[in-house]
Amino acid sequence: MTSATIEKPVEAAAASEAPVVIEVKDLHKSFGKNEVLKGIDLTIHKGEVISIIGPSGSGKSTLLRCLNGLETATSGSIVVAGHDITDPKCDMDAVRQDIGMVFQHFNLFPNMTVLENVTYAPINVKGMSEAEAKKIGMGLLGTVGLAEKADANPRSLSGGQKQRVAIARALAMRPGIMLFDEATSALDPEMVNDVLDIMKGLAQEGMTMVVVTHEMGFAREVCSRVIFTADGVIAEQGDPAEVFGHPKSPRLQEFLSKVL
Amino acid sequence: MSCQAQAQLGTAKRLRHRARALLAGAVAVIAALVTALPTPALASATSDAVAGKHYIVATDTTFAPFEYRDGGELVGIDMDILAAVAEEEGFTYEVQSLGFNAALQAVTSGTADMAIAGASITEERKQMYDFSDPYFDSGVQMAVPKSSDIASYEDLAGKTVTAKTGAEGESFAKSIADQYGFDVYSVDQASTMYQLVAAGQAVAVFDDYPIIAYGITQGQDLKIVTDKEQGSSYGALVAKGKNQELLAAFNEGLAKIQANGKYDEILEKYLGDTASSGSTAETDTSFLGLVKSSLPAFVEGLKNTVLITLISFAFALAIGIIFGLFRVSPNAVLNWIAKFYVWLFRGTPILVWAFFFYFGIPQLTGVPMNIWVAGVLTLCLNSGAYVTEIVRGAIEAVDPGQMEASRSLGASYGLTMRKVILPQAVQIAIPSVINQLIIMVKDSSLLLAIGFAELLYQAQQIYAANFRVTETLMIAAAFYLISISILTWLANKASRRLK
Repeated sequence: MTSATIEKPVEAAAASEAPVVIEVKDLHKSFGKNEVLKGIDLTIHKGEVISIIGPSGSGKSTLLRCLNGLETATSGSIVVAGHDITDPKCDMDAVRQDIGMVFQHFNLFPNMTVLENVTYAPINVKGMSEAEAKKIGMGLLGTVGLAEKADANPRSLSGGQKQRVAIARALAMRPGIMLFDEATSALDPEMVNDVLDIMKGLAQEGMTMVVVTHEMGFAREVCSRVIFTADGVIAEQGDPAEVFGHPKSPRLQEFLSKVL
Repeated sequence: MSCQAQAQLGTAKRLRHRARALLAGAVAVIAALVTALPTPALASATSDAVAGKHYIVATDTTFAPFEYRDGGELVGIDMDILAAVAEEEGFTYEVQSLGFNAALQAVTSGTADMAIAGASITEERKQMYDFSDPYFDSGVQMAVPKSSDIASYEDLAGKTVTAKTGAEGESFAKSIADQYGFDVYSVDQASTMYQLVAAGQAVAVFDDYPIIAYGITQGQDLKIVTDKEQGSSYGALVAKGKNQELLAAFNEGLAKIQANGKYDEILEKYLGDTASSGSTAETDTSFLGLVKSSLPAFVEGLKNTVLITLISFAFALAIGIIFGLFRVSPNAVLNWIAKFYVWLFRGTPILVWAFFFYFGIPQLTGVPMNIWVAGVLTLCLNSGAYVTEIVRGAIEAVDPGQMEASRSLGASYGLTMRKVILPQAVQIAIPSVINQLIIMVKDSSLLLAIGFAELLYQAQQIYAANFRVTETLMIAAAFYLISISILTWLANKASRRLK
């Protein structure tokens, strides 16, 4: 299958004209003496689907977690939808309502049913009525194919089902941006496609997405831009066809030879 | 519960005494007007000063024959003298049975107005207290098992003897210990002394003669082998410079009952030949008999143990949750406060706090402290420190991904704690919290030191009078098992509801 047969959500040319939703400038992040991010500059436009690839320990998850403030930048600036989230006065809770995040280990709330997981934030954060939140929640569970599991305990679900619920939970806040942190890494192989299909669907609907992934097929077929991180910097980025077809740096060539 | 029981007892006595007080008051007035008393002005003045007033009198728990429980009621030479004097002088009182040292402490702190506890009048104590006229002349004697060869102090070389902490027997034994080369093993209660001798851990007992004589009438396998030493006199006592009108009234009443023969009657009753204590000889001495006769006291103790544990546990839970949240809070000040609290209460003995709340606070503030309040404070602050750590551990045991997932949805820290973290932490904490509850039941027994009438206190009261220590404690243990079973059942029921 070639990239030409895949309908890209946003062409690279169009993306640069769309408004900027995330602007990262000279981002540094250290854990103690260990500097994980060493100066990242990144601009993301509305509707872009970006995958971040790279060897483990290269800082890709840390970069993603900085975007919604789960990690605090050591220096540099991150502006999300007009809010400078590196400013200590920034209301992170408000900004996060607009950024959905999906985790490798799902992190569903075991003290709630599947539907309650989905309606938790709309009811408690947005103050939505229970009836309305349930309607939206059931709709989203239908989209991810799990409407019949609404009253189940998350513990009774398979990994793939859990991750689909987690996606529905994030979408329930109607975010403008979705972050995926190795969303399929913890899944059994036969579950991976269920989750990737939902992510593809989201991309085609025009959702702005940043995806840290090991799924090179997904990066190549679905994403509008691929970012390769190595040793705490963006070593190379561009159109998937470019990045996968004509890798310039030796580090990317080496990485691709291992994973492809 | 001691206070309530005492209060009820006190109320009954008060009612009785009110009638007598009126009568006594009337008699005193007529006497002052008509009869030429030796010191009429003084007599009527002191009577007036105390008549109709209500006092709190502290005493020992276990100093038979001066004070001990017989069928649940506190009896003994001290109790009868006090009752007779109060009747003569027209005041009312309630007795707090606290233990010897605690009784003196209660007078110092103002929790009690007077103590009558077979206390010897000594120069050392006179620094702290004003004593009444002596009401009893005692003296230390040594007793040994009937089969023992020990007949004099010389035979004690290299051996261990026992005496009661703070009593004359102890100070006398210590004063000659070096001279005769023996060790003194001091214990808190007469019954423990007898146990030590019976078990062979001590070869002899040093104590005031009436105590030993009473023990022998109660079937202790002992013989007295020495003459009375270091004769001392017992007096009632008040805090130095305080309650002088009560002290004067006590002296006056004592003189009256010594004059009218009432005093001799009392001594005869407790120290006369064994024939007078015939009623005790008739009691059922089987184990079942003991169970039967001690049942009311143990049921009362069970009620108090369960109740104070439950109340304290509720407060400990609240404290533990609040400080546990402080402990995991990103706020450094809250964190430090919680750390300090845990450090303080985990690092100090429960007993110290029991004494502090019950005796220390009244001394510092001048406000009397209710024994339930002191007991609950002691238990809940101690257990609260452990619950704090349980709560902290449980919160930290919740997957950090839960916090991240909730925060990434825009939920605040507080909302996340309430809706996501705490519900999961509760499930993790339940087994440890139930464990803490059970520890609390047993910790509550330490409150016997301030005279709280829980299970072990009841046991002490019972074996202090009958000296059947092991059997009584076995019954107490059975009651602890009952109370712990009740509380565990309740806790499990509550925790199932939480799930």
